Amino acid sequence: MIGVLARRLIALTPTLLGVLVIAFLLLQVAPGDPVAAIVGDRADPATVARLRLELRLDEPLPRRFVAYVVGILHGDLGTSFITRRPISRDLIERFPATLRLAFAAMLFAAVTGMALGIIGAIRPGGWWDRATTIAAYLGVSFPVYWVGLLLILVFALTLRWLPPSGSDGLSFLILPALTLGMRSVAIVARMTRTALAEALQGDFVRTARAKGLTEWRVVLHHGLRNALLPVITVIGLDFGSYLTGSILTETIFSWPGVGRYVLDAITKRDLPAVQGSILFLCVTFVFVNLLTDLCYAKADPRVAFE
Amino acid sequence: MNRHFLPIILVLGAACGSHRPGRTLEYYFTADPRSLDPALSTDVPSGEVVTLLFDNLTRFDVDGRLEPDLARSWELDRRGVTYTFHLRPGVRFHDGRPLTARDVAASFRRALAPATSGGRGWPLYPIQGAEAFAAGTAAGISGLRIPDDSTVVLSLARPLNVFPKLLAMPVAAVVPESLPPGDFGQHPIGSGPWRFVSWSHDDQIVVARNPDYWGKPAASDTLRIRIIPEALTQAAEYESGRLSVVEVPFGETARWEHDHAAELDRRPAIRALYVAINTRRGPLADVRVRQALNYATDVSTLLGQIMGGRGTRTAGALPPGLDGYDSTRAPYPHDVAKAKALLRAAGYPNGISLQLWRTDRDEYGRLAQAIQQELAEAGIRVEIVERDASTARAASMHGNADLFLTDWYADYPDAEDFNFPLFHSSNAGAGGNRAFLADSALDRMITRARETPDSAERVGLDRQIDARVFALAPWIFLWAPVDLWARQPYLHGWRIPAIFTGQRWTDAVVSR
Repeated sequence: MIGVLARRLIALTPTLLGVLVIAFLLLQVAPGDPVAAIVGDRADPATVARLRLELRLDEPLPRRFVAYVVGILHGDLGTSFITRRPISRDLIERFPATLRLAFAAMLFAAVTGMALGIIGAIRPGGWWDRATTIAAYLGVSFPVYWVGLLLILVFALTLRWLPPSGSDGLSFLILPALTLGMRSVAIVARMTRTALAEALQGDFVRTARAKGLTEWRVVLHHGLRNALLPVITVIGLDFGSYLTGSILTETIFSWPGVGRYVLDAITKRDLPAVQGSILFLCVTFVFVNLLTDLCYAKADPRVAFE
Repeated sequence: MNRHFLPIILVLGAACGSHRPGRTLEYYFTADPRSLDPALSTDVPSGEVVTLLFDNLTRFDVDGRLEPDLARSWELDRRGVTYTFHLRPGVRFHDGRPLTARDVAASFRRALAPATSGGRGWPLYPIQGAEAFAAGTAAGISGLRIPDDSTVVLSLARPLNVFPKLLAMPVAAVVPESLPPGDFGQHPIGSGPWRFVSWSHDDQIVVARNPDYWGKPAASDTLRIRIIPEALTQAAEYESGRLSVVEVPFGETARWEHDHAAELDRRPAIRALYVAINTRRGPLADVRVRQALNYATDVSTLLGQIMGGRGTRTAGALPPGLDGYDSTRAPYPHDVAKAKALLRAAGYPNGISLQLWRTDRDEYGRLAQAIQQELAEAGIRVEIVERDASTARAASMHGNADLFLTDWYADYPDAEDFNFPLFHSSNAGAGGNRAFLADSALDRMITRARETPDSAERVGLDRQIDARVFALAPWIFLWAPVDLWARQPYLHGWRIPAIFTGQRWTDAVVSR
């Protein structure tokens, strides 16, 4: 296991370096003007010139890159052009909300998706299997925006069971988590169904049944364990993307997470905030992938051995 | 399992819903404020919160009338350049410290100093020496004096009749001379009718009634301001009773007028929607071409079909309600033949090709397309360039857009806030004049209108300025929108403010 971890960590270095460069260059070459976002529609040329100087916008790119890298090496993501707050503080303040939403969405997706997949795999081709297949396709096809608004319409406006948006408590988490997790439910269900159906054809399953184990024990302890690898892959990837901000879901449900922070920074051309948050999110994504790899090794000892 | 999972979490969720006290007013912004520090308030949400927490020397009431705030009175000298403000006695900051003239002076210095300024110091620039101080070339503001603790004397570089209105801007709000340690923008201390309680970024700001306010204290205990970026979610929040008021989106006007007719309030906005015509670019330098663009656009149809009639057509830049607005002047009629004739006379018998830039705002999408179709009939070929707000604004600011579909929200209710930034040649580009109009006669009229102490002369000049702007056609003149808000039946004492700094929520109360 330690070997797997070491190899993965070494492989991460060029990835993180690439992220560092791309995060820096991305908005430097994009059109738009951060000063225009700061001063609004009415400004005087002297203020515009002074702000450009203060924000070092007219300095050569290499010099700005060096200053940026030096800051990163000192653990400083910089200060927002717009709010003048430290970016790391802004991210730390918003990340718990993103984490809560990601966990809730993943929990919903994993439990519901795997349950649907298992049921489908037990009776392949049965009516329940066909129904979950259709549901899975629908889940993948519906855009997040539409699903979110539909859930608000049904559960907040018509039934009045849940609040439409906000983040004051558990009840506020349900609709965004369902919206965000919906797509993963479909994919996890299909993955589980296919992998489990294949695993249940294996000799070891026949042996388990011959030993007289109950069908549920055969399916859950023997079949599912061997079908888990692709499911872990999907869950890991989706969880990583949830953690790196779910802009649409956070916007529809006024959820105060990292996704909205990044979107706001991009629209205002808040360069340090964009660079800092992209770097933070990429590192988060990379480490979630690393954790996924370690889960592989746990689920299938052959991975660790290789 | 899935059969039972959803109902369980729904019931659990409903049980965990947070309790909302009855005397809490619920308002919202579409974006998190930049800061709650007046010196950094360059955006509307920041300005609105600063208005709640802080006081200025002057302020606007809900109808946009200027009234005394911290200054109980003021005088102007005979030369029209020195204002003497007399402060109200007994005003205290939320932490109990008395507010004096020293705090006023410190606040103005702070709003202008390069180290603390947010880039919007222009409301204070008319004070003599303020610009040099802001540029870092002077150690102090020569036109700012405090003879005693209750008097502030401000000497201007030139007469400026609108100056008391500039002092009602959020950037001129008064903060304590010695600030508490830490981020003042995150933990503000003012003297206004509401005191700061908490700010959870991108989520909500909570302010509480200041019982020691020098004026009439707020009627409600708490005002909670949610940050809700999505218009449909705002509507859902209102319809589920979790917002006290909501602005009705333009595309939803008909539905709201049908479903919530009794809850709707209207107010003509001090705002202009227009297409800026860059008068420095190619054929657009010719006034006949610019007039042709106006003749070719069927504005009344656009207003009715796309905006549901929520606006007043204007024949000039000034919206109704401002002194200087002339309701007798007729807008450019829709006359395609006249437009073609003007283009021919200008030397473009085969028409012209232009780029129309627009931001990604919803209401601009259909409008830009409709304008494109209208202009095509007159032989004006338009390519629509849709960009995010930052890119589009930068393009127009730097003069790279032929046409720019945009609007202008008044910073303060006065014709000067349209005429000077939008049409004086010194403001070309970043200053607000996105048409890059440079007309020396117009410049002289605008300067005279700003400086004259005679109110009647000023109104006359503002009318003449608007008439000349109309004739020079630096815009495709569209309309002044009408604000449409829904207000819960149980909310009393709230009206749509004429200007964004005019609503303090002090009279608003919820009674169910």
